[in-house]
Amino acid sequence: MSLAAEAFVSQLAAAEPWPENATLYQPLKEDQILLSDHASSLAVQAYLRMCGLPVQVLCRVNSEFMSPSGKIPFIHVGNQVVSELGPIVQFTKAKGHSLSDGLDDVQRAEMKAYMELVNNMLLTAELYIQWCDDATAAEISRPRYSSPYSWPLSKILAYQKQWEVRRKMNAIGWGGKTLQQVYEDVSQCCQALSQRLGMQPYFFNKQPTELDALVFGHLFTILTTRLTSSELAERVKSYSNLLSFCRRIEQTYFEDKSS
Amino acid sequence: TGTLHSLDPLPMQGPELGIQADDIEAPEVEQEPKQEVLENKNVVVQRVHIDGLGRTKEDLLTYEIAEVFRANNLIDVMRKSHEARQKLLRLGIFRKVEVNIDTSRGEDALPNGLDVTFEVTELRRMTGSYNTMVGNNEGSMVLGLRLPNVFGRAEKLTFQFSYGTKETSYGLSFFKPQPGHFERNVSFNMYKVTGQFPWSSLRETDRGVSAELSFPMWKTNQTLKWEGVWRELGCLGQNASFAIRNESGHSLKSSLSHAMVVDTRNSSILPRKGGLLKIHQELAGYTGGDARFLKEDFEIQLNKTLYWDSVLSASLWGGLLLPFGDAPTCIADRFYLGGPTSIRGFSMYSMGPQSDGDYLGGEAYWAGGLHLYTPLPFRPGRGGFGDLFRTHFFLNAGNLCNLHYGEGPQAHLKKLAECIRWSYGLGIVLRLGNIARLELNYCIPMGVQSGDRICDGIQFGAGIRFL
Repeated sequence: MSLAAEAFVSQLAAAEPWPENATLYQPLKEDQILLSDHASSLAVQAYLRMCGLPVQVLCRVNSEFMSPSGKIPFIHVGNQVVSELGPIVQFTKAKGHSLSDGLDDVQRAEMKAYMELVNNMLLTAELYIQWCDDATAAEISRPRYSSPYSWPLSKILAYQKQWEVRRKMNAIGWGGKTLQQVYEDVSQCCQALSQRLGMQPYFFNKQPTELDALVFGHLFTILTTRLTSSELAERVKSYSNLLSFCRRIEQTYFEDKSS
Repeated sequence: TGTLHSLDPLPMQGPELGIQADDIEAPEVEQEPKQEVLENKNVVVQRVHIDGLGRTKEDLLTYEIAEVFRANNLIDVMRKSHEARQKLLRLGIFRKVEVNIDTSRGEDALPNGLDVTFEVTELRRMTGSYNTMVGNNEGSMVLGLRLPNVFGRAEKLTFQFSYGTKETSYGLSFFKPQPGHFERNVSFNMYKVTGQFPWSSLRETDRGVSAELSFPMWKTNQTLKWEGVWRELGCLGQNASFAIRNESGHSLKSSLSHAMVVDTRNSSILPRKGGLLKIHQELAGYTGGDARFLKEDFEIQLNKTLYWDSVLSASLWGGLLLPFGDAPTCIADRFYLGGPTSIRGFSMYSMGPQSDGDYLGGEAYWAGGLHLYTPLPFRPGRGGFGDLFRTHFFLNAGNLCNLHYGEGPQAHLKKLAECIRWSYGLGIVLRLGNIARLELNYCIPMGVQSGDRICDGIQFGAGIRFL
């Protein structure tokens, strides 16, 4: 968002307290949602739970097209619609809820850097595996993405999405990578996260921040989603402190959540 | 002797100001004294042939000229030749058709035998065109590329690109009439239309294919059509209401529809007499696709000329959208009402169910209009330009709402009868050829419900279909 737009949203947001009927929109959980979208959605849900803000999760077939930025998830709070974790964090900050207030500038910069790492590495790897790996695309991604629509629209939309993602991968230089290279990148990213986490409960010691929500969203989804091969999950599992981190957050914030 | 009679070409159908094709009576045949002798004389048409054919196949044309053989006196020959000429022109494959009637020559010529020759000039293989078109309160530029008479039997292939104030579209269409029965025809279309509807803050892109069969039956014209459309809806601008945001996304409609039209009016724009009945139904979902509904709509219009060159016109429109299954109806299928071409005095399509100022359309509607058209007071420019204008007094009424289909028809009628919006006023109407009309009205809207947007006072409208 531009600075002016951010300032405007903040003004509007600050005016009203968080309502009871805030809703979060994502694709259908059972049949439609894909790994990358589920990770992003779970990250936002974890963040909102950490802030203590109630939100109801609604599943809609067209949530991707309802979103103002075209990305999942988005929240509908009062009159406003905000999508993606970054803008949602800004939005809640304007309403007076923040998890990173206790951090100093150095820590905040570090937090932003690690969030960038997760977005550039983990999220991109998830997209690559879903759409650029032919086996996964044919068995999982295209059938799931096209499940709500009838033929031939289902085929058209699935291939359109695949071409779009592949074009984007080529643009950022991931087009030439092999699956093994991508798994290696994931491992390296997990190693960096694991080292930063160490033996602490959260990345910035006692209190969770948006970084914790983001990492949890991605890692938990990777661990619990069945793909054509389990190698991605195995790579994450090899870091035991990340495993216990995920379990801890699940138990603390999602214990009422039925899987 | 040389040529006895050669008819001048009549103006073809098309947009032109001034004299209208349907205002011209069939030409009176000149009655010269010397022709009185021939009037009652029996003649035999020995040969009818067509000169100037290139790629057109002859078998197509034999049907159109067959009647001429049956004429048995001179006046009849001229009349039937004129009709045959009209039929040849309406095929849309000739630029010019001239008729020559001459006495028979040659060895087997009878003393009262006649030869009729149609001299035709075919249209070029490919023609381009540029038009401006007036739709309902929108205008557009249309570029067209047409291949008339592609395979020799009046098939037509057209590509059209249209750029307008509300819609941009392009499409390819193939039309094939049945030889000998031009009114029975089939056409295939492929198109993409992108529209922007600020009254709903909605953007819609439709990509579709359709196949249509048209044929006359007694006095009616019937059309059967299958259509498959991929609809993509989105918000227009960031301030769209959440109800519109909810409708965003993709859907596929595959529908069968049937339309019946009975049109006895003398013209479709400012008719003086006759009536129109149009009934249309569409069933979606049983040939595939996501959308499932039954849609019915009708249009009735009656016109009567009164004293002093004034015309009384009454019209009634109505429609119903019945969804099947649990899914709600899609905004792309619902009806809209209001505006200078329907209920005057209200803003364009700004009536009925709405959310935050975005109009959502309704599943049922009715609208009626009563008009009195008179010539301009004091009749300025009579006989020329002034005849294109009419003064117009009107009364419009209607309603647009959603129905809960669990309740019975009694409840539905009651709901449509509540909260009726209506308006009255007067204005000036300008007729644009045979294609469109412009109106400038002073409107007084009444029965305005909360949420409706009105346009009281002066309202301008342009279009082809007015209530």
